[in-house]
Amino acid sequence: MIAQFLAALIFLASLWLIFTEKLNRTITGLLGAALMVGLGKLLGFYDEARAIAAVDYNTLGLLLGMMILVALLEPTGFFQFLAVWAGRISQGRPVRLLILLGVVTTIVSMFLDNVTTVVLIAPVTILICEILGISATPYLMAEALLSDTGGVSTLVGDPPNMLIASAAGFSFNDFLTHSLPIVVVVWFTALLVLRYLFRRELAVLPPNTEAVLKLDPRESLDDPKTAQRVLLVLGGAILLFFLEELFGLSPAFIALGAASIALVWVRPDINDVLRRIEWGVLIFFGALFVMVGGLEASGALGGLVSLLERLDTIPPVLLGLVLLWFSAGLSAFVDNVPITIALIPVLQGLGARGVDIQPLWWALAFGAGFGGNGTIIGSTANIVVASISERTRTPITSQLWNKRGLPVMLATCTVASVLYFILYPMFTR
Amino acid sequence: MEIRACMKHNVFSISARATIRQAAALVLERHIGLLPVVDELGKPVGVIRLADLLSLELPDFFNLLPDLDFVHDFGAVETTRPTPQELARPVTSIMQPITFVEETCGLLRAYALMVKHNLHDLPVVGNGGVLVGIASRVDLGAAILSSWMTVEAP
Repeated sequence: MIAQFLAALIFLASLWLIFTEKLNRTITGLLGAALMVGLGKLLGFYDEARAIAAVDYNTLGLLLGMMILVALLEPTGFFQFLAVWAGRISQGRPVRLLILLGVVTTIVSMFLDNVTTVVLIAPVTILICEILGISATPYLMAEALLSDTGGVSTLVGDPPNMLIASAAGFSFNDFLTHSLPIVVVVWFTALLVLRYLFRRELAVLPPNTEAVLKLDPRESLDDPKTAQRVLLVLGGAILLFFLEELFGLSPAFIALGAASIALVWVRPDINDVLRRIEWGVLIFFGALFVMVGGLEASGALGGLVSLLERLDTIPPVLLGLVLLWFSAGLSAFVDNVPITIALIPVLQGLGARGVDIQPLWWALAFGAGFGGNGTIIGSTANIVVASISERTRTPITSQLWNKRGLPVMLATCTVASVLYFILYPMFTR
Repeated sequence: MEIRACMKHNVFSISARATIRQAAALVLERHIGLLPVVDELGKPVGVIRLADLLSLELPDFFNLLPDLDFVHDFGAVETTRPTPQELARPVTSIMQPITFVEETCGLLRAYALMVKHNLHDLPVVGNGGVLVGIASRVDLGAAILSSWMTVEAP
């Protein structure tokens, strides 16, 4: 009992530190993991070997592989090229610009890290808006919200999806058949809500649209040769993701294989590439696996499983909806990665006791994915967009995000809930 | 040789209580690139560079994008001006830390400081730390080079 209590205390204290940003999340993760292993050894419920076994190397490998591909693509100017292209095609018309930038950011972040996508597209968005003489706020917020929403559609689009896929054994195609149709409807809902919430800003016609038409996308592409090579390898990797079941390949193998092929083909300065890898994220994930592994070993999660098991009187579809809103509510305030990593063993525990957890995985994916839209700290893309806007004359404030982002989160979660309810039989397969 | 031998004694400065608009007017009137900010006693407390004033007009994307070559027309930004509120702010809100030397400072030390701090003009203080002059890179360089002329030819 004492082990369960102390293990839960370590985990909750870590979540609190991450939420309050009193300590960097990677440092918090490492500290929490070390404390958990130490406690486990002291009380005999956890040790180094079990900690290492708790790490999901499939997710880490997939993340690392995709990060290497992004690190190779980043300096080529490809992301800048896409944003400039969207600006030019929009001809400076606000609604068209919002849709085009939203579509570009979403499609890219369905396959690549959405934080990198937003980091590289946001400055060009500010450029386009400034030369047009309009506010960049609606476009920046739309990029973060729509890319977060779109990322839920694929296995590689969102870290919680990678975690869920690895734990539940879902393939890339499972996400395309189960998640993509929902996300398409939810994405359009988010776009309509944004269109309504920013109706005043979007009604202002830019005084001078000629400057945007003078932007040349090709000129903004610094290294077309490398961009072409990396995109070809990425295309090959996506093709293999579709065929992973046929060939019995793991997503980590495909991503790391593609990364090594791209490295050989491009032959960059490897130290430069490695500097662009977000090691902090990988260490944070690893540390969370160790921490939650200890939480599970202590039996603390078993208590939660027993508690949830008693809810077997409520219909399974309702249990799914409760999980969707529960994970969405938590993800709006705390990073959705620790939430997902902590809920995975709970779901697995329910599964071991005979509950049909197949539909619950999807509820978790939707909740963790759409919930992050609610607050300025709900997702890393939101934080990044806000911090970029802080370097401009019109920073996006937390209050503004609550006024514009929270309605988007509530609308997307509501639409996702309705679709989950209607299509529930599909999620049981 | 000391810096006071080559510095300009006619140095323009602005009070720490002045506004950005007043600083801009003085820079414009005197055609200077550096304006020391002084307190009531005439002691330097900071510096306003031409670039600090112009940064108020530069667009936000200037600091966010590494390369601007593909932007052929700045569009609406070209006609954007600082707001009256921005111009009414005190100079202390945009001034930078000042690097200065005493009038007894050697020429080579003064020049080395200018290079290290990437300065084009170096304010000089006299007794009691009061601003008494300013020396440009050319003032210093010419003074240093003039000493070479005393070196006998082989």
